[in-house]
Amino acid sequence: MSITQISVFVESRPGHLVRTLDAFAQAGIQVRGFCAGDTGEYGIVRFIVDKPDEALALLAERGAAARASEVLCARLDDTPGELRHVMAVCADHGINVVYCYSLASTYIALSVKDIAAAEAALADADIALVGQEELSCALAGVTL
Amino acid sequence: MGTPMPPADEIDFSALPIYLPEVECTSRERIRAIQLAKLIEQVDYTYARVPWYRDQMDALGVAPADIKTLDDVRRLPFTDKSALRETFPFGMFAVPLDEIVEMHASSGTTGKPIVVGYTAADMEVWSECIARLAQMAGVTAADRVQMAFGYGMFTGGFGLHYGIQRIGGMMIPAGAGNTERHIQMIEDYGTTTLIATPSYAMHICEVGERLGYDWASSTLERGLFGGEPCPPHLKAEIESRMHITCTDNYGLTEVMGPGVSGECLAHRDQQHIAEDHFLWEVVDPATGEPVGEGEMGELVLTPLDKRGIPVLRYRTHDLTRVITEPCACGRTLARMEKVRSRSDDMLIIRGTNVFPSQVEDVIGRIDTLTPHYRIIVDNDSGLDRMTVEVEIKPEAFSDSFDEMSAFTRDVTDRLRNVLLVTPVVRLVEPGGIERAVGKAKHVDDRRK
Repeated sequence: MSITQISVFVESRPGHLVRTLDAFAQAGIQVRGFCAGDTGEYGIVRFIVDKPDEALALLAERGAAARASEVLCARLDDTPGELRHVMAVCADHGINVVYCYSLASTYIALSVKDIAAAEAALADADIALVGQEELSCALAGVTL
Repeated sequence: MGTPMPPADEIDFSALPIYLPEVECTSRERIRAIQLAKLIEQVDYTYARVPWYRDQMDALGVAPADIKTLDDVRRLPFTDKSALRETFPFGMFAVPLDEIVEMHASSGTTGKPIVVGYTAADMEVWSECIARLAQMAGVTAADRVQMAFGYGMFTGGFGLHYGIQRIGGMMIPAGAGNTERHIQMIEDYGTTTLIATPSYAMHICEVGERLGYDWASSTLERGLFGGEPCPPHLKAEIESRMHITCTDNYGLTEVMGPGVSGECLAHRDQQHIAEDHFLWEVVDPATGEPVGEGEMGELVLTPLDKRGIPVLRYRTHDLTRVITEPCACGRTLARMEKVRSRSDDMLIIRGTNVFPSQVEDVIGRIDTLTPHYRIIVDNDSGLDRMTVEVEIKPEAFSDSFDEMSAFTRDVTDRLRNVLLVTPVVRLVEPGGIERAVGKAKHVDDRRK
């Protein structure tokens, strides 16, 4: 069980991220979560959106450098120690979290090399993982 | 449907037109005889009519009567762009302005424009030279030729226009810009030949692809390029993506405009010089002395029958070598290797000589980059710094910072191996480097 993330190559200059967000807004694509990292010169901005296929097609049409990849999505309970719990389970199983970011509400997206192994480990530890559809329902009305 | 030319060894050259075979395919001896007769007359004409040359020749102690062989051309003074600037606008003209039927001016890439004027006879020579290179590329009276150069003062637009009409081709004078309209016109009018700068042709190609235009089934068969040097990888990419055959020609406003030499389909990296109209020399740019036969040096041109503005030994600053063996296309006119660098566009970075064409070649060989690039040089920190901006192709983008920085390092290493200078490589979004409608400006030297 995984969800689709859209990553976009964006130059680290004023207005460049806005172009992508404009395209999403015009197409009525809702952003459920994102993270932006940079190297000083350029950044990779990662998005969780309600319609990933549409978003990717839109970006390709605009000639942007974008690609889709799969990440895990965990739903955390709204209590202290929940984030620690997820990371501890991964650590105990020797799973490296390449990067991780939170979505709107108490959901986090985790990028790992072996999705199936991480999914099994987290599920065993009773951490709720959600798929694309479930996330859509759960986050309806929570747009960034 | 457009059918691009097969590789050179599969072309039946006897089936292709040659505009003026009695000149283009004649013996070397006859060409040299034509050149000598014209040179003697041209020096006479110039000395008698242009005070600037009379002063220069008097100062060197050389008289028109001293010109007896082609080698005697070396006794004549060189002409540099500065001479044409100092005498702005009409000081170098050899005829009263009533005899001038058209004027043009250089694009002023490096400084003030240079003004040139053509007599009716000059226009005849010019369109004949263009007709030759158009036929080298296979253009005939049946072709529909769409102009994507700007008309106006730039020599490229009108020069090509007249030459195509001379062989009976149909000119579609669309002019520069409005890319989507160009594509629509190709579709509506069944255009077979596109005249453009290579960078603008690439832009038309990209816009067409984005609009979903199918270049493979388009009527377009060829591109006639000019206005800027066309690197081989860019030509190859345009040929494969637009399904056309592209040739380019060489020329300078100061000696005529486009048409000094043109590419035939047998040797795609060389161009036949219109030797009956232009005497060429290849010299060491530092000393002005001739280099050995077939060696690389600066091209020096003397137009042999120019009436409006005669020019003796024009220093082009373009680096090339000239080959005089007969060509597989049937022509015997000498071939100059395509100009890839200029003696004056050399950049000196921390004491090392760097040519933009070297950067262009490295980038052209990396298939995950588009052919567009920009070089920025500054020395804000007191040390020269060269930044090369390159565009990644969308499919080359990786979601991993590690992979992206490895990619940047790889591009840096490849550039360093060729340039012997370590540049800063800056990745730019696809389409992020400005596309030129005219000459692409690849270098921004902020040290000046």
